[in-house]
Amino acid sequence: MAKVREIRRRIRSIENTRQITRTMEMVATSKLKRATDRVYAARPYAERLAEVIGRLVDPELRDRYALLRQPAEVRRAAVLVLTANRGLAGAFNANLIREARGLIDRLRKDGVEVDLHVVGKKGISYFKYRQERLASERTDIGDRPTAADAASLIDPLMAAYERGELDAVYLVYAQFRSALSTPPARMRVLPIESPAQREGAAVSYILSPSADEIIGSLLPLYVRNSVYRALVETAAAEQGARRTAMKNASDNAGEMLEYLRRTYNRARQAQITQEIAEIVGGAAALE
Amino acid sequence: MAAKRMSVAVISPERTIFEGEADLVVAPAWDGEVGILRGHAPMMVLLGSGDLRVRLEGQEQRFYVSGGFLQVIDDVVTVLSERTEAV
Repeated sequence: MAKVREIRRRIRSIENTRQITRTMEMVATSKLKRATDRVYAARPYAERLAEVIGRLVDPELRDRYALLRQPAEVRRAAVLVLTANRGLAGAFNANLIREARGLIDRLRKDGVEVDLHVVGKKGISYFKYRQERLASERTDIGDRPTAADAASLIDPLMAAYERGELDAVYLVYAQFRSALSTPPARMRVLPIESPAQREGAAVSYILSPSADEIIGSLLPLYVRNSVYRALVETAAAEQGARRTAMKNASDNAGEMLEYLRRTYNRARQAQITQEIAEIVGGAAALE
Repeated sequence: MAAKRMSVAVISPERTIFEGEADLVVAPAWDGEVGILRGHAPMMVLLGSGDLRVRLEGQEQRFYVSGGFLQVIDDVVTVLSERTEAV
């Protein structure tokens, strides 16, 4: 008797959980769709910008631009880690944090002082728990990061880099290969890795103002755009990871329910059989 | 006549704002307005802020831009700007 009631309660509880995970799966699916569109919409700008910079920048003149210049020695680096504000996305945040840890440990082993900038509640609470000092923390970047968000993240770092206070800036983010494949990745934002090789014949442009000034103002656009793309990809990757995690959870709940229902029916049968046996036994005793 | 057009794209980091053809593009360059017609020499110019006008058969579309640059190659005009909106 007690067992039947117990099982019934578990069934109900798992049904409720499944309802929630299913809903979250659907929400993530619809957010994923929008986030994916944003990833694709961001491509033309990035492609054209890389193309133009590739055309204008002569690799031999790297040293003329602060953002391209390779520092002789890296003493201080900033690591910008993108994580989600919310959990229940499988190993999504854990993967990002592990990637960041790997990078930070490597830098420290090489004697580099690391400034840690973290985006997303999950990353922040992890690094705080590990008693890391955070140079900055941001939780205001949501499902729909904007170019302005990217600028507000990277501009201070870019300025510090130009002043020579930082020798490198790294970014840890989640690549969005597909909804099912969202591996963590690291990228060196500064100094800029040569943005696309010089391809095709160099066009002889009318340049206004000078090439130097144009390159000088395009490079920051390039840096900001790299960060923007990373934000957008991470946002899409988060939804993809959450959808997968919630789908698995719903499937598991389904399996568990199936097993519990079978057990429940068996217990109920047994109980009825026993009751009948008792009645029959009782009747027999009266005769 | 149809061949005498340029193709124009106005692109922000977030999305492609405009893609189409034009007879004339007038853009707010850093040092004053530039007008671009078909057959323009390859050019790369930084933009200031102001109105970007794209004209096709007397119809004009306007965009606000601030910063970024404009490139012309082979009658393809590309405007890239972090701040640009259709007006």
